[in-house]
Amino acid sequence: MKKTLELVGQYYLLMKRVFQKPEKWKIFWKQYAVEAEKLILDSIPIVSIISIFIGAVIVIQTANNLESPFIPKMYVGYMARESLVLEFCSTMIALILAGKIGSNIASEIGSMRITEQIDAMEIMGVNSANYLILPKITSATTLSPFLMLESFMVGLLGGALIVIFTGMVTLSQYVDGIQFAFKPFYIYYSMTKTAVFCFIITSISSFYGYHASGGSLGVGRSSTKAIVVSSGLILIFNLIITKIML
Amino acid sequence: MITVKHLYKEFDGKEVLKDISIRYNPGECSLIIGASGSGKTVLLKCLVGLFEPEKGEIWYDDLLFNKLDLNAKKQLRTQVGMLFQGSALFDFATVEENIMFPMDFFTDWSKEQKLDRVNFCLKRVNLENANKKRPSELSGGMQKRVGIARAIALNPKYLFCDEPNSGLDPTTSILIDRLIQEITQEYGITTIVNTHDMNSVMEIGDKVGFIYHGELLWEGSNKDILHSDCKELNGFVFASPMAQQLKSLLRQEKKNPEDQK
Ligand SMILES: Nc1ncnc2c1ncn2[C@@H]1O[C@H](COP(=O)(O)OP(=O)(O)O)[C@@H](O)[C@H]1O
Ligand SMILES: [Mg+2]
Repeated sequence: MKKTLELVGQYYLLMKRVFQKPEKWKIFWKQYAVEAEKLILDSIPIVSIISIFIGAVIVIQTANNLESPFIPKMYVGYMARESLVLEFCSTMIALILAGKIGSNIASEIGSMRITEQIDAMEIMGVNSANYLILPKITSATTLSPFLMLESFMVGLLGGALIVIFTGMVTLSQYVDGIQFAFKPFYIYYSMTKTAVFCFIITSISSFYGYHASGGSLGVGRSSTKAIVVSSGLILIFNLIITKIML
Repeated sequence: MITVKHLYKEFDGKEVLKDISIRYNPGECSLIIGASGSGKTVLLKCLVGLFEPEKGEIWYDDLLFNKLDLNAKKQLRTQVGMLFQGSALFDFATVEENIMFPMDFFTDWSKEQKLDRVNFCLKRVNLENANKKRPSELSGGMQKRVGIARAIALNPKYLFCDEPNSGLDPTTSILIDRLIQEITQEYGITTIVNTHDMNSVMEIGDKVGFIYHGELLWEGSNKDILHSDCKELNGFVFASPMAQQLKSLLRQEKKNPEDQK
């Protein structure tokens, strides 16, 4: 318990150093672009692949459960849309990103810590936390909602493909279902969740990397911790945000 | 000039530095020597503010470093260069970008001006045309030289080197040592070098401080070091088997010079 409080304190102190005005905005925006490519653009392929398969699987499962003739066939599309937008495209994708970009960030910053590159920046008078971490947090937090949208589209596409391929319902029934009782608020809810989750992932992984110690083993340990802790926090915050927003 | 007064540092209750007081002059290479784990790196990191000492004062000329606020510290840091034990080059950047890094942050120079300065620094350390190389493509000695080039990028008044020749062969070591000495004298820098290498001591040790278990036991120049009567220092200086044998040979020779013929 005491240790947890200590960690929270350290995290808070680090974030105070992160969220300061950059020395030069030009340097910040350059790093923002670099991180946007590394954290978001480079995640598009894996997110797309997973989304297309999950979209297809959800459609098959729903179609199998809707044997009853009293339920309209278009419910397949409706259900697929709802599960994608409510849970899959935000929480599931965030958990996958926690593994991918969380370990990436923690090991990158951690190895800079143990090879004294962070010390070298500090000696020069550069706020290393601000230079290294702020672009990661801001780019992931601001751009990840679009990644969620992309995952949503591709997931629906996956559903459409399986519908065309198997013919379990007609494509027009599926498309009708997708449009049925559509609540734009859910998209907004899901984008908010994704942004919060990506803030958690980037800041927590940066924190564990920044405080890495004990050689390359230590870097490995800190990246494992980063993934475990950010996944846990994602689940907790999923609950909190859902309670607040829905 | 850097002045240290009664410096103490501990980690989790374990005293690592005890009552260190010493003065470092501009234009001189001052060495901190001692066995591994004696506290050399900790002392250096206290001096540059990477570690917070428990007690004591650190003066950079007439500035009391411990009491400076963040902005003043940052200001001072632009006058400080440091060469790290493992070079600590940024591996996300090329050699050129490494040396340019402090310029990007703290100068308003144009791209050409920065490039001029980079080339000047690289030339100074005899590494022309390495601009576009990555740190991982360089040998240990070359990395150290890039580290030095980066440390002098903004014309520092103070230069700190942590074991500049650890992991280098003797020839390269001497080259690096001489480079540090030349730069120090050329620009009148206050230079502090950590080392456990006796060759460096004899080569560039204008002023030497010997640390033993966190205490400063001896101070002097490399001319006096072989004649000191500090037991711990002698143990350190004559630690290698070769030094031991030479010493006993010399003793024998002193006793009976004829027999040796
Ligand atoms: N960050 C740290 N936390 C705890 N103990 C440390 C730390 N850094 C150094 N020490 C301890 O301080 C002592 C001196 O270390 P150091 O200054 O690195 O020795 P060296 O003279 O080889 O450079 C060692 O006993 C080391 O274990
Ligand atoms: Mg050391």
